[in-house]
Amino acid sequence: MKFKKKISSRIRQFREEMDLSQLELAKLVGVSRQTIYYLERGSYNPSLTISFKISEILKKPIHEIFYQEPIIKDILEGKSLSEIREVAEVAGLNLEKLASLSEMDNEQLTKAFKEETITKIAIALGAEFKDFFENL
Amino acid sequence: MSKEKNEYEAGISSSYNSKELLKNTLLLGIIATAGAFFTWWIMIMIYTDGLNINVEVPIEVMYIIFIIAYGIFGALIVLTYIYNTAYIKNFTYKISEDHIIIIHGVLTKIVATIPYSRIQNINIVNGVFDRMFKTFTVKIETAGSSAAAASAKSGHIKPEGYIPGLKDPFIIEKKIKEMMTKYSAVPSGLEDKIFKPEELAFDNFISYILSKMREGEKLKTFITELREKANLSASQLAEKVGVPIQTINYLTEGRYNPSLALAYKIAEVLHCKIEDLFKLV
Repeated sequence: MKFKKKISSRIRQFREEMDLSQLELAKLVGVSRQTIYYLERGSYNPSLTISFKISEILKKPIHEIFYQEPIIKDILEGKSLSEIREVAEVAGLNLEKLASLSEMDNEQLTKAFKEETITKIAIALGAEFKDFFENL
Repeated sequence: MSKEKNEYEAGISSSYNSKELLKNTLLLGIIATAGAFFTWWIMIMIYTDGLNINVEVPIEVMYIIFIIAYGIFGALIVLTYIYNTAYIKNFTYKISEDHIIIIHGVLTKIVATIPYSRIQNINIVNGVFDRMFKTFTVKIETAGSSAAAASAKSGHIKPEGYIPGLKDPFIIEKKIKEMMTKYSAVPSGLEDKIFKPEELAFDNFISYILSKMREGEKLKTFITELREKANLSASQLAEKVGVPIQTINYLTEGRYNPSLALAYKIAEVLHCKIEDLFKLV
C-alpha cells in the first residue's frame, strides 16, 4: 500500500526571495497569474513543461520547489490542535502519536502507522481509506 | 467612439453558411424522406384497410408524394441559404476594453453586450461539421443569465455569447489577451492581495491561450534508457506507475506533456530525479 500524495510547492518562498510578484513570475513562465496563485496554494498539479520553466526561472531543482506529501499529512497540518485532539479521541489514538505524524517523512510514516490506524484516522476525519491510499 | 483604438471588430467566415447548409441538408433530407414514406404508408392504410376496399394504390401517387416532400425540402434549403447569408452579413463582434459586443440577427437585430466581469467561461467548440469546414465556435457563458440557466437544463439554447463560423478563434484570444493585460493592470505591490473575481474568470481563458502558445515546447525523455537500466519492460513500468501502456509510449515518443504528479510517480519507480528523466528542449 502506498500513500496518496499531493504536490505542494515552495514557489511563494522562492519567489519572494527573488523579489518577484505573482504577475511577474507568471509573465516569465508564460502562464496566467491564476496558475501561479493556485500553484502556491498547492491546489493544482502543473504540467511538466511549466514545472521546468518555473525551476529554470527560480534557479532551483524541481524537487525543491515541488514536494510531495501524503494527503493525510496535508489534511492534519491544516487542523487546529483542538480538532486534532477530537480526531485522536474518535480514532482512539494517543494525541502525541497523531501529532507526530506531521513531522514524519513518507518512509517513517509507512513504518510507524499501520493501515488499520490510518483507516481509523480516515474515519475520524470523515473520509475513507481510499482517499489516503493508492489502490494498486 | 473615442475608444476606437482599443477595439477589435470582425465578422464571421462564409464557411458558416456551407456548414449550416450541409447540416440542414442532411437533417431535412432525412425528415423529407421519412415524411414521404410515412405519408405513402398512411395512404396505403387508408385505401386498403380503412375503407375496406381491395384497391391497388397507383404508383403515381407515390411519385407525387415524393415530389411534394422534396419540393418542400428544396425550398427550405434555399431559405436556409438565404437566411444564413444574411446572418453572416449582419454578424459582427467587437472586443473592447471591458466587454465583448455581439451584434447579430436577420429579422430582429440583437446587440448583446457582455462585460468581462460576467463571463463565467469561454468554450471553443469544434464539432463534426465544424471540422469539415475548418471552423470553430466560441461560446461565452455568463453568470446568472436566463439563457445560460435554460441552456444548462436543455443543452440546446445558445449561450449569451455565441460566435460561430470562426476560421481562427485564436485571433480573438490574442485580442482579448491584449485587452486583458491592460485591464488587469493593478498597482504594483497590491497585485498579490487583490484578486478580483472578474479577473479569475478571464484568467481561465488566458491560461488556455497560453497553453496553446506553449504547445511548441518539447520534452526530451530518457525513460527508455532508465527503464532498460532498471530491467523493466514498458508494460511492467506502466503497471508499476499505474497508467495504461499507451501513456508510457506517448511519453517516450515525446508526444505528451505529463503532469508533475505523473512525472514524480515514474521517477519514483525508476529511482531517479525528474531532471534525469525529462529535459525541456
